Amino acid sequence: MKLHHLIPLPFLALLGIVAALPRSSAVDPDVVKAEKERLAIVAKVRPAVVAVCPFGGGGHGSGVIIDPEGYALTNFHVTADVSPVMSAGLADGILYDAVLVGQDKIGDVALIKLVPKKEGTPFPFVALGDSDKVQAGDWSLAMGNPFGLSTDFTPTVTYGLVSGVNRYQPPAGGGTLEYTDCIQIDTSINPGNSGGPLFNMKGELIGINGRGSFDKRGRVNSGVGYAISINQIKNFLGHFKAGLDTDHATLGATVETENEDGSLSEMKFGTILEEADVFRRGVKPGDKLISFAGRPMTSTNQYKNILGIFPKEWRLPLSYRRENSRKETLVRLMGNMDTPVDRPQPMQPRPGQPGQRPADPTKEKAKRSPAFKLFKEKKGYANWYFNEVEQKRTLDAFHKHGDFAGLTGAWAIEGTFNANDRKGPLALAIADGSDGTIDAKLTMNVPFAIKMPTAERLQLQLPDNSGGLLAALTHWRRLLTMGEKGFTQGFSHGGMEPVYPPPADGKPVEDWAKLRVDCDVIRANYAGIEGKWYFDRKDAKLIAAEVQVLRDEDPCELYFSEFKAVDGRTLPHRVDIRWGDKNYGSLSFTKFDLKK
Amino acid sequence: MRLFVIALSAFLVSSAGAADPFPSVAAKVNPKVVKLFGAGGFRGVANYGSGILISADGHILTAASQMLDSAEIVVHLADGRKMKAAVLVTEPILDSALLKIKVEGKKLDEPTGLDLEHFDYFEAAKRPKAQPGDWILGFSNQFEIAMRDEHFSIQKGVIMAYTKMHGRRGVFDFPYQGDVYVIDQITNNPGAAGGPLTDRKGNLLGIIGKEIKNTLSETWMNYAIPLAAEVETKDGDKTVTLSLPKFVELGMKGQYKPVKRPETVASVGGYHGVIFVPNVLEKTPPYVEDVVTGSPADKAGLRADDLVSFIDGEPIYSIKMFHDYLKRTSAGTKLRLEVRRGENLQTVELTLGEYPAKPLPAKPTEPKK
Repeated sequence: MKLHHLIPLPFLALLGIVAALPRSSAVDPDVVKAEKERLAIVAKVRPAVVAVCPFGGGGHGSGVIIDPEGYALTNFHVTADVSPVMSAGLADGILYDAVLVGQDKIGDVALIKLVPKKEGTPFPFVALGDSDKVQAGDWSLAMGNPFGLSTDFTPTVTYGLVSGVNRYQPPAGGGTLEYTDCIQIDTSINPGNSGGPLFNMKGELIGINGRGSFDKRGRVNSGVGYAISINQIKNFLGHFKAGLDTDHATLGATVETENEDGSLSEMKFGTILEEADVFRRGVKPGDKLISFAGRPMTSTNQYKNILGIFPKEWRLPLSYRRENSRKETLVRLMGNMDTPVDRPQPMQPRPGQPGQRPADPTKEKAKRSPAFKLFKEKKGYANWYFNEVEQKRTLDAFHKHGDFAGLTGAWAIEGTFNANDRKGPLALAIADGSDGTIDAKLTMNVPFAIKMPTAERLQLQLPDNSGGLLAALTHWRRLLTMGEKGFTQGFSHGGMEPVYPPPADGKPVEDWAKLRVDCDVIRANYAGIEGKWYFDRKDAKLIAAEVQVLRDEDPCELYFSEFKAVDGRTLPHRVDIRWGDKNYGSLSFTKFDLKK
Repeated sequence: MRLFVIALSAFLVSSAGAADPFPSVAAKVNPKVVKLFGAGGFRGVANYGSGILISADGHILTAASQMLDSAEIVVHLADGRKMKAAVLVTEPILDSALLKIKVEGKKLDEPTGLDLEHFDYFEAAKRPKAQPGDWILGFSNQFEIAMRDEHFSIQKGVIMAYTKMHGRRGVFDFPYQGDVYVIDQITNNPGAAGGPLTDRKGNLLGIIGKEIKNTLSETWMNYAIPLAAEVETKDGDKTVTLSLPKFVELGMKGQYKPVKRPETVASVGGYHGVIFVPNVLEKTPPYVEDVVTGSPADKAGLRADDLVSFIDGEPIYSIKMFHDYLKRTSAGTKLRLEVRRGENLQTVELTLGEYPAKPLPAKPTEPKK
């Protein structure tokens, strides 16, 4: 009795059938054309695909170069084991040294920089696409180095469909590797493909491949892979370039699906933390969440998706409904990571060949790499070296509009004000005392005066309802005249954040998104007060600031405009001030006397 | 004339582009599929699945899976509506089940008043079947990726073969013995069973099957049941031909009578009457603790403290292996057991019998979480 042969294979039969297929004599010209186009795209993007290796080489993960300087994207779970200095092989067969620049542990993204063999040589790179335009059913190309197959770094190409968009995959390792708003593909990805590019059929980068659903089929392609959307990465890219170890965000409020058993679901606010910005914006439990960051919200997955694609502290438009009125507001996101996570738990897909991890001698050798010169360790940063690079880039560009370095004498500015329902002449005087203190005086009909840094906390909020305008203007002068030296701690580049300058006429805003300006952020702390200074990424003008006088209170917001040259330096002739949800008012500057 | 040429070439280009409009095919198919949620959820058994709408009134065609073994099935429509459904009829031999959406205040056999987008099953079943080499699209809610109004997953593949499915893991696990489309894409993931297999234009071809493993090659099968599937089977003593279209037609009218199948006892094999030591380890050695008086084991002379070592020459290391082996047997099967008794290896002839009145539960019970 042959009990164990009850399961014959259908495959033998199948082979016969396939072989017997009638062959069509002529190939459709459209097919030939499509194939040619596909080959051309592969040839175009191939040189920019990276095999990310432990220092010295060996199979590990993949990546892709996104600019001529050699910045390349990969997965955090690829760099986690090999940072800070690693090797990166390109399709030309050359192994380059590379260094970690910035990372996002939760979102599983890392930015690395390849060091050219000869300084200044540009790297091949790919263009970033718009992943919001990707649709289920689109063709896609995945490239990378699965199973560490390619010892000469020639990337493997796989071709398949986008199976779904806006997918949510919960964290996979100790709170990290949460894939939000990601792209699901049937394009085959396997261990070693992690960190590699997903392209649309224009050869634009639409995602970074990193995970799959495996269940019982083992850690190989199961027809269900996931790529982190490039639009999410774009939100973090400014942070990465500044060497930040980024954090994701929460709203500080729970959102529940209402009438779970009903037909269509609605999202309703539950508990709201008192320290959350959304609480200060007046959102109350029971309010209905309509849309967030421009997307309608109808399910928990959508809510998790949208939260997952932004760094903490970003301000984003939120629409909600209370009874019958719809309200629009801007909400600042809170940080997510209470306890920093150092490394992910077992990852999926796991980079291939874990046996080739660098031993200690390799790490010592890595320290002699030119890439190691691009690494500075600092707590809370992925790589402080690049933060300094970005600080310099931002401030150098700003200084093209005027150098205030010598003007550390007394500042006297005259003009008019229109604030707190009053109008009149304005006089601002800021001068350093002989004992290292600063006297700041602002006269708007009545005088307000503070002495920094010794002022009492409540004094710092003067004038009333401004949120701390006088302290903010003191910071402004220090930033302009002294730069980093004017601040006691925390002077750093804060990556990229959006700013929404309010309309000049003070009317309520219906669509905040239209006002958005993307800015480089410089953070600076003086007298225990944290300020964030926003430089327009287009022209490096200082267009806004947020100065946080009291913790867990709204910061004083300054919006600078009407830029005109004064003695060869560009100065704003108008400053609008907002605190919380209110316009405090605007200042017009007409006369500047900035002494050396 | 020249204008005409330009217009013509523009038309050619656009028609070439329109040859693979998979995003629009996905958008067209998506409203006609539903996410199903039912029983299961414990290890290895998905409590979710996929279904195909085949009437405006809310009839759903899906695979006959354990997930349906629930008093009530929850359905998520493509527009995000959450509804309930009841199983009208299941035919394991066709590996198919027919469900209907329930609307509050309406009886199951009354019109629901819904006007849902759906596939025309009967029209589709009349079309010629797809051929090996043809492109297909698979749609499903595999891995429970989508909830509410989120879209089904779309996958692209090629039909490798149209062949008879005779792979099986015992009658209970895989009773379907008819033709299948074998697919080169990994479509048959958890929860994919019951989703539509379509041609490249979104025309319905079949129902994506379950997860089954080829135990010879240790590979998973990816297959779909064709819409016009027919299976010959025994109904009592007679041989009858079951057809999927007939099942759907009669099922929708509430007139389908499932075929009487042999008792599910077949899945646990023939009856032996051995009582093993408590199976506490993953590989508890098959030590006999006791035998049921008068059972085949008793008659064969098995006794307490015997260690079953071989069945028909195959080594048996654990109680689980013993049970797995026995699943492939039935009443009347003669087994040659070699058991270690004290220092010696003894050979015992065991003739399996019919289970006594109450069969063992055929399904694993849900472990406490």
